Amino acid sequence: MKNTPSIPSRRSFLRGLGTCLSLPALESLLPISRAVAAAAPRGATTAAGAPLRMAFLYIPNGVILDKWRPQGEGKEFQFGETMKPFAQYKEDLQIFTGFEHANGWAGGDGGGDHARANATVLTGARPRKTSGSDIYLGMSVDQVAAREVGSATRFRSLELTCDSVRASGGCDSGYSCAYQFNLSWRSETQPATPEPSPRLVFERLFGSGSKEERAKSFMARQAKQKSILDFVMEDAKALNQQLGRNDQNKLDEYLTGVREIEQRIASMEKFGPPPDPGAEAPVEGVPGQYEAHIRLMMDMQVLAFQTDSTRISTLLLAHDGSNRSFKEIGVADGHHNLSHHQNDAEKIAKIEKIDAFYARQFAYYLERMRAVQDAQGGSLLDNSMVVYCGGLSDGNRHRHDDLPVIVAGKAGGRFQPGRHVKFAGNTPMSNLHLRLLNEMGAKADRFGDATEMLKNI
Amino acid sequence: MLKVSPVFQFWVGALLLSTVPGGSYAAPVADDFKKSFEPLLAQYCYDCHADGVDKGDFTLDAYSNLDEHLGDRELWLRVWENLRSHLMPPADKDQPTDDERVQLAAWIEKNVFKLDPANPDPGRVTIRRMNRQEYRYTVRDLLGIDFNVSDALPPDDTGYGFDTIGDVLSISPMLMEKYLDAARKIVESTVRPQESKLPVVSLTPQYFKAPAPLKKTAEWLPFDQPVEVKRKQVFEHAGEYQITVEYKTQGSDEATGHAATLALRVNDAEIATETLGWDNRSSIKFSAKAKLVEGDNVFSLVTTETEKPQEGEKTLNLVVSSVTVMGPLDGRVKVYPKEYYRVFFKGGPAKEPAQREAYAREVLQRFADRAFRRPVDEPTLDRLVNLYRIAAAEPKTAFENAVGYAVTAVLASPRFLFRAETQPEPDNPGKVVPIDEFALASRLSYFLWSSLPDAELFELAQKGELRANLADQLDRMLEDPKSQRFIENFVGQWLMTRDVEGINIDPRRILGFKNQEDGFKVFGRRQRQAMRLETEMLVAYLLKENRSALELFTADYSFLNEPLAKFYGIEGVKGEQMRKVSLPKESKRGGILTHGSLLVVTSNPTRTSPVKRGLFVLENLLHTPAPPAPPDVPTLEEVKKEAGKKKMTMRETMVVHREKALCASCHARMDDLGLALENFNAIGMFRAEEEGQPIDTAGKLITGEKFSTVAELNQILATSRRQDFYRCITSKLLTFALGRGMEYYDSTSIDKIVVELEKEGGKMRTLIHAVVNSTPFQKRRGDGSH
Repeated sequence: MKNTPSIPSRRSFLRGLGTCLSLPALESLLPISRAVAAAAPRGATTAAGAPLRMAFLYIPNGVILDKWRPQGEGKEFQFGETMKPFAQYKEDLQIFTGFEHANGWAGGDGGGDHARANATVLTGARPRKTSGSDIYLGMSVDQVAAREVGSATRFRSLELTCDSVRASGGCDSGYSCAYQFNLSWRSETQPATPEPSPRLVFERLFGSGSKEERAKSFMARQAKQKSILDFVMEDAKALNQQLGRNDQNKLDEYLTGVREIEQRIASMEKFGPPPDPGAEAPVEGVPGQYEAHIRLMMDMQVLAFQTDSTRISTLLLAHDGSNRSFKEIGVADGHHNLSHHQNDAEKIAKIEKIDAFYARQFAYYLERMRAVQDAQGGSLLDNSMVVYCGGLSDGNRHRHDDLPVIVAGKAGGRFQPGRHVKFAGNTPMSNLHLRLLNEMGAKADRFGDATEMLKNI
Repeated sequence: MLKVSPVFQFWVGALLLSTVPGGSYAAPVADDFKKSFEPLLAQYCYDCHADGVDKGDFTLDAYSNLDEHLGDRELWLRVWENLRSHLMPPADKDQPTDDERVQLAAWIEKNVFKLDPANPDPGRVTIRRMNRQEYRYTVRDLLGIDFNVSDALPPDDTGYGFDTIGDVLSISPMLMEKYLDAARKIVESTVRPQESKLPVVSLTPQYFKAPAPLKKTAEWLPFDQPVEVKRKQVFEHAGEYQITVEYKTQGSDEATGHAATLALRVNDAEIATETLGWDNRSSIKFSAKAKLVEGDNVFSLVTTETEKPQEGEKTLNLVVSSVTVMGPLDGRVKVYPKEYYRVFFKGGPAKEPAQREAYAREVLQRFADRAFRRPVDEPTLDRLVNLYRIAAAEPKTAFENAVGYAVTAVLASPRFLFRAETQPEPDNPGKVVPIDEFALASRLSYFLWSSLPDAELFELAQKGELRANLADQLDRMLEDPKSQRFIENFVGQWLMTRDVEGINIDPRRILGFKNQEDGFKVFGRRQRQAMRLETEMLVAYLLKENRSALELFTADYSFLNEPLAKFYGIEGVKGEQMRKVSLPKESKRGGILTHGSLLVVTSNPTRTSPVKRGLFVLENLLHTPAPPAPPDVPTLEEVKKEAGKKKMTMRETMVVHREKALCASCHARMDDLGLALENFNAIGMFRAEEEGQPIDTAGKLITGEKFSTVAELNQILATSRRQDFYRCITSKLLTFALGRGMEYYDSTSIDKIVVELEKEGGKMRTLIHAVVNSTPFQKRRGDGSH
């Protein structure tokens, strides 16, 4: 089955990536980006015409607020203790405090705050409490953007996760696992399943095989798929006629999938073969070490942006309620268990370590995003809107207000980074999403439970 | 986070979605309500739930008229559930007799739910995508390769505790892409040109036998006991063949002078002689050619001792490891490797294009029949052949690859990826039909094998004789080694044995060791794996031997190997092999509640969790899940802190916790069950003390039964709570097999199975047969609600 002649180590992969990241500009990409910019001048572009990216990175189980909260407001502020790992990027980011996801609160639905935290964060919607069939949430902000402006790139969006194993049985207090393991929702009822394997992300973006073979194999595969897609499409339609309503809805998911692949093949003519990412594919499977896994997934996201394969991406670092332990930083207890620390100093100290661990990963990400020069000038980060956030603030008490939210990037100069902005306690986080949507050119006037478009950003 | 399956909420939800029957209740119902129903309610319920008293925010008389009252199905569902599970009335209040309980429940079923026991509603199963496991096994049974699904496909979502739920198994564009990719990869490595070779027949040395009464075979022939061993073999084609014998000599580490000859004879003619002596090579070969006749041929090996060993030298033996016969050597017959015939069942293609296409059609029809699990229709087959044609038209394309192109389409088709069951009037909920035989074959095979029907099931379905032979087929399926997949997937999720090997737990902290490695030595990979197997093997054993499911509680034996036996402190089990072991009388083990697997998966990484353990028993064994915990509940650590005591046993801590928390009533259901298992720490190891104090495992069930040890709890579960357990395992099995959650109307079918189990002493095979024979398994209805 395994068809990979030589598998480069992660280190050689990173080295390869490092080399390409340090290039001042990727000449090979210039023509494509220009073509794209010309083809879609309004969607997902900065004022200067560069591609504009939107990314969401999710951290689970809240943070220790005392050590997180910055001191002071506006431009003169001190980073919280556990934010220090990324403090050096002050001029590239803004810290928002005071956002709330009102739909995260129990509101008569009882337990299940972790499921609701994960579910609300990008949707602003209340998940229907069910462990079975009738999951129902809302479309997530990235997917709205993807629907509106995703056609500008080879992939409408890219959903990633570092959770590769799921427990059997149910999930959080009667909520379907779908709410906890997905950030992105294509529709009210359909999550966009994220990919945990860095290698599969790479192959999806750039094709498989050696560097030389990649572009070729990608093209050949797509062309050959065409008649297979025709076949399965007809097959599905024939089957559809014999089914009842519910079954038809299920089959619709299949048809949507097929149609989307067809569209991608059609767009091959517009975009040509996939670009050379200038890096080797990561080794097969999921790295055993968590930090290595996170960083590879971040590399993949950066690579996707850098090659303009997509402009919209989400990365779930771990699902809310995750009980992962962090042996690499000497924390053997489960994160979720610890988060119910009940003011036990020892436990709090451990969570602070975890918060700082995640902050270091974010720092790594920012460093990568800053190191890549965008084709039209500025760094990738300059032309991006990256939201690093969690759906809980105080994990101990399951608070859904005062959420930890960092927005990095300048959106091509339209944001005012270097600030800490404090919002009134019940400002919906959806207001931020609404603003981001409009920045992306997806002219929306409502989203989730937004009350207005966020201005101070 | 607590894992709670909100059966209540779900059932309530289902009720609210279904339309309440219109019109008002007829006068006879009203009379009956007054006469035979309300008096019982008044006697047992109204004290707390009527006349202004609304304990638990629940009142039975806040309705202006009977229509409204009986129309509130949510209300009656709760009454019905709590009555049946003996949760109400509370144990310290007056209890209705068993007959009265049945009478109350039956009244609700008939007059509120309007269930008809003679015609149970089979419910609706949504078209089901294969999950990862099913995909893997289906591909394996179809094409013979083990495709690595965990790399290629994302994990599946689960519902109602299982990954077989049609409504939850969605398909995203990304997944679609992965299926296409997987199909391509699978075909690349299986449907491809292969070289044909001269046929080779292998003659197993074991069947070269000496004349009776000697028991010698070619596997072991001492030089000093000369003998002829022979066997017969039928060959289809006369001609010249090459025979190769592979052997070694053994018996002495030192060189010896012991020598012999080995003669190879075919049909009594000697064709080769080999000189045997001391030789330290592990494999020696010699070959010779011989003419074989059509039909029986006799092959024999003759040893003759030619030299005795010197004094003090050891004697030698001949060990023949293989005898192969290749030919006929003229090449008029050629064969492909075995796996080639899985798809190209008649061998290689013809030269002539029209014949090739006809063969491609045959191959594709046979393959699609199996992959779609029902005969492929002509238009679809035409389109598949068309794909073959497109690929074959490309220059330099091998026949097999052109067929492979169409096979890729089969593997990407919704008819392969989904199990679709069709029926007339698919949108009429009133239309109930038996599922067709092909659908039945698939339901069976995915239930017990997590894969497609084999040739026998398919052929029976084709002849329309599967239903008629159902019992025999079911037993055959359970005997098949593939039924191990049912154990892995069903038990793996029901008793959560899937999780025990991967769960995050810290033996160092639990055991109070300094060194991480020391912790892993006590509780590591080997113990975890053995724990999983222990539980799985117990269920497999009960199923194989058709023993009572109640032995899950009462077994005085278990399945152990040396690492696990040592871990449990049981002597006398040697080696890595898992086997059935009778437990010593004084053993603290016996039944799944004392299995390491269950104890570990219900613990936190550093301590036990009586709540999780209690919930597990309620939810997975007694079918009476507690409602989810309210928010802002203080945790045990906080309790300890506030009590100002550093050292408290788990029980002490929980007592304080319960006093404080708002939810003493829920905890009353869970805690005692969980605390009964406190003699086992978070890695399932026995302990008599905690924090220097003896552990108290006494408690009582919400239904009133008292116990002081886990063994007594086991007895209660196997006797007075037996029916709850039967109901529980039945609905878990139905959920897994059907791929949908249980609805209130399923109670008719479940209850029927429970009655049968009662009659048959809970026999496991009886249970599987009853599930398969039940209405929801055998029938389906149209979409939509009544």
